[in-house]
Amino acid sequence: MSALRGRLGARLGPWLCDAGVIVAIGVFVVWSIAPLVWLVLSSILPQLSLIARPPQISPVHWTLDNYVTVIGSAAALGQGMLNSFIVASFTTAVALALGAPAAYALARLSVPRSDAVVLLILATQMLPAIAIAIPLFIVIARFGLIDTRLALIIVYLSFNLPIVIWILRGFFLGIPVGLERAAAVDGAGVIRTFWMIVLPISVPPLCAAVVFAFIESWNEFFFALILTRQNAETVPLVIAAFAGQYQTVFGQMMAAAVISIAPVILLAILSRNHIVRGFAEGMLKG
Amino acid sequence: MGSSLTVVRAGASARAEPTGRSVSGTFEQRRRRVGIGFVLPALLVLAAVLGFPIVQSLLLAMQHVRLAAGHMHVRWIGWENYTDLLADDSFVLALANSIFFSLGEVVLVTSIGLGAALLLNHRLGRFGILRVLLIVPWAIAPVANAVLWKWILNANYGVLNAVLKSLGIIDHYVVWLGEPMRALTLLLLVDVWKSVPFIALLFLAGLQRIPRILYRAAVLDGANGWQRFRFVTLPGLRNAITIAVVLQTIWSLRVFDLVFVLTRGGPADGTVLLNFLAYRVTFNFLDIGSGAAIANVIFAMSFLLAILYIRLLQPTKREPAS
Repeated sequence: MSALRGRLGARLGPWLCDAGVIVAIGVFVVWSIAPLVWLVLSSILPQLSLIARPPQISPVHWTLDNYVTVIGSAAALGQGMLNSFIVASFTTAVALALGAPAAYALARLSVPRSDAVVLLILATQMLPAIAIAIPLFIVIARFGLIDTRLALIIVYLSFNLPIVIWILRGFFLGIPVGLERAAAVDGAGVIRTFWMIVLPISVPPLCAAVVFAFIESWNEFFFALILTRQNAETVPLVIAAFAGQYQTVFGQMMAAAVISIAPVILLAILSRNHIVRGFAEGMLKG
Repeated sequence: MGSSLTVVRAGASARAEPTGRSVSGTFEQRRRRVGIGFVLPALLVLAAVLGFPIVQSLLLAMQHVRLAAGHMHVRWIGWENYTDLLADDSFVLALANSIFFSLGEVVLVTSIGLGAALLLNHRLGRFGILRVLLIVPWAIAPVANAVLWKWILNANYGVLNAVLKSLGIIDHYVVWLGEPMRALTLLLLVDVWKSVPFIALLFLAGLQRIPRILYRAAVLDGANGWQRFRFVTLPGLRNAITIAVVLQTIWSLRVFDLVFVLTRGGPADGTVLLNFLAYRVTFNFLDIGSGAAIANVIFAMSFLLAILYIRLLQPTKREPAS
């Protein structure tokens, strides 16, 4: 399958090629995982072990002290997690509720100029956040919504809606038309068909869209930096502030980072198969 | 519009020909009515959130804006903000940095991502656990990623120094982020590390859409491994590659969190990318008009590059033979 396999394979036998593949996979695994191992490892090592040269990483030093300290002292982290969770959940739910019907209509319901509409929606994603930050700030300040979760929920729709529409539209395009025709013959209206036939077979791309939107919202930094102060501060802001404030307390910094990413990492791992399928069936067509 | 739509359309056109065009008029009209009802809410929300800011951003870029005593004083100055940028050394430096960063990122991420996807699609690489490896760096918040790498690259206690020293590659600890070009390159590598997984997933999905039978046919025709890659895999991935290149271009021009946490643009503005410059000009120097102009330059660059890449990577559209 790879170039390597063809050229070497002909001369030196397939086993050498397999060995090459295994080495390459090994290199890739180390490259992907080494920074993460260090992230987790330094979160369970005390400061003294970390600032030794070289760092002392033997299991005898392992401790959960960093986590205890971080959870005990940084109330902002808990508040940030809660804010992130609320913001990400609501914005994802709204994006799905508005985006799924829109994606279906753009894929299937002969909406006039639907291609142009799709292109327009995707083009908005090329806009750097900074371009709309100031005007958004002014509008949101006028409504008195600075430092509220509602402001973030609304603003995050600007990238979540397009993501949801993009992934789902691609999938809907690929559904056999016969399915909907059959439903129509059986007397089901468009809305009923969408609800009873189309959505139930769209679980993988729906999952992919939900996970994608949730993760993007959980991780978003720029808008949160500009639109929140303290009450609505989300997790990335807490981590950035923490890193600035305690940048020499390495273990605690890493513990805070691990806590902040744990929920989305779990979500991503649990839904990994849906994500891959959702990408395959949604994004690559959309 | 035509060629850009290839991405949108190409994958699906084979299987999903225009929906129910043959079905009778009233049915079609009803579908259209419902369809418009389905699309409108989403479009209205997008227009409400983005419409005013986009227009406002275009206008701000044509104005001289001063913040004083909580009020904005604006003066119309036409294109001056843009022409001023060209004479501004920090803008030119940021532009050069961004071009280096963006090109490097697109090339590295696409090629490494493709390699990784091929490995994971290989018979020896098809383990679920390997896919988890792809998922995790993708899901990590850019900020958490930046914090992690700040610690890894730490000049005094960073693990990179410790590892390289114990392997004998360096003989004294290096201040990784202490020198402009090295800092920018490391920033690039950190972002590549973070970006490869998503693109690899995209390619993996693309690989799985290539019908097996094409490979068998290629073998029957006597194609060797390289030829199978060149004439079956690459064309089969054309859409995925286009999407990857376009997305990565857009994303690389928007990198902000990494610079904000890791270097704040230093040393000597060596890691100031356009997006960070726009932020700094707007929020630190409070020169809102100029910041908006920089932001619009980023938007224009993303848009033009996206169109350019789509044209380059989707040439078959104009050849009816294919």
